[in-house]
Formats: sequence, C-alpha cells, structure tokens
Amino acid sequence: MAQYLAELDGVFAALADPTRRGVIRRLGRSPTTVGDLAREFPMTLPSFMKHVRTLETSGLIRTVKHGRVRTCVLNRDRLAVVDGWLAEERRIWEERTDRLERLVTEPEENRP
Amino acid sequence: MNPDLDLVVHRVIRAPRATVWAAWTDPDRFAQWWLPAPTVCRVDRLDVRPGGALVTRMSDDGVDFVPHMDVTFLVVEDLERIVFTNTVDSSWRPVPPAPVHLTAEVVLADHADGTDYRVVVRHGDPASRTRHEELGFFDGWGSVTKQLAAVAEHS
Repeated sequence: MAQYLAELDGVFAALADPTRRGVIRRLGRSPTTVGDLAREFPMTLPSFMKHVRTLETSGLIRTVKHGRVRTCVLNRDRLAVVDGWLAEERRIWEERTDRLERLVTEPEENRP
Repeated sequence: MNPDLDLVVHRVIRAPRATVWAAWTDPDRFAQWWLPAPTVCRVDRLDVRPGGALVTRMSDDGVDFVPHMDVTFLVVEDLERIVFTNTVDSSWRPVPPAPVHLTAEVVLADHADGTDYRVVVRHGDPASRTRHEELGFFDGWGSVTKQLAAVAEHS
C-alpha cells in the first residue's frame, strides 16, 4: 500500500513538468532514441537525461539499449494508473468503510 | 457533486452512532481501520476539532514508517459531521498534496438499524486543463489512455 501510493506520487510528479510531458507526448507517436528526443528540447544533454531518468523511475517510460543507442518507449499501462485515479480513490474509501463497519459491529473478542 | 471529480460512499452501519464516532475520534480505534492490513497505521495526531490535526504514518513491515496523511479538520460537529482537507497541513500551511487535493466530509445520522453513514470526497482536478492540452488529450483526465492511443495511431 505504502509502495503503491509512492508509485502514484511518482507518476504525478513525473507528469508535473512540461519537458517530461513533451517527452510522453512524443513517445505516444513512436519509440525514439535518446539522441533524437534530446534534439527536440532546448537544454543540455545532462539536463535532459535527468528528465529521462525521472520518467523511467516513475515507470512511465522504459529505455532499451542496442549497442550504443538508447531508445525510449512509452509504458501505456503506467498511464492507466492516472486514468483510473477516481476509481482507485473510490475503492480506497469503500474498503475503508468496510473496515470501519467491521470494527464497530463485530464483538470485541472476534477482533484480531 | 461533480461525477468526474467526486465520490460518495453511503452505508447503514449496524452500530450506535456513538460507537462509529468513537472509531473516528479515538486514535487506537482509528488506527485499526484507516489503512488495509498488512499495512500498519500509526496515528501521530488526531485532534478532532475545527482546525485540529490528523497526522498518520504507515508501514508495510511494522518497522519503517513513512508519512501517510498530514491534514486539517475544517468542520467538526459532535456525533454528526467531520470534514477534513489535505490542501493545508496540520500546521495550516498550504501544501501541494499528492496525488490530488481533496476535501472529505463524513456525515452520521441515526437510523432504525444503527447509523446512517455517508462520506462525500470532493477532489481537485489532478492536473490542470493546460496539461491535458499540452499532452494532446482534450477529453478530460478520465480518458487519458484512450486519447493517447488515438494520438499514437493517427500520427
């Protein structure tokens, strides 16, 4: 649970930056090499690589190395985490209410 | 209510209102239901009054705890209503909560079978409209993936 929430935070944090959103949008069209991607953004390569690493850590993209060329690929399943945020919040509150109900309705001796 | 941003949980709980209220206001009881097992909840502050603090931590192994919630009660009406928000922390500092801003309202009423229990959670938009447009999604946050697939397929 703690890990899941941290992951969700990571995805939203990754999407909070315009460069990283630009990368996501670009990768939505096709997988692209780091070199080609970097040329589309006005910053130094080390600065750009920080963004790539943030996206990779959040799980929104993955990178694959062939020889000396590193290619970035969008991870669509990860974006679905964002897509389903309200359903996820609903599940959290429904289950929370289930536990509250159990706590106040079960005799104390049956509780763990 | 905004169906894209808000949710309602409504139950009749077969227990007296005072018992449900105690589960919300007594730290030991609160810790027993707030988070799903095996996650362990530790209640640092539970000061159920307007402006009071709710601060919890959580742990997956019962040893290392990480912050969970740090929020402020807006409205508290004894045995009837509790409202809290995560937009200001327990020291009343405005914060950028993750993943999304919310105000939760819990309303308790008497019912023939026990307690009528209703939770309304109102969320802020998890991302600004601008962000959607930058990403090329124009149909709201709820269809990010679909829109993304469309963008990918038509370019």
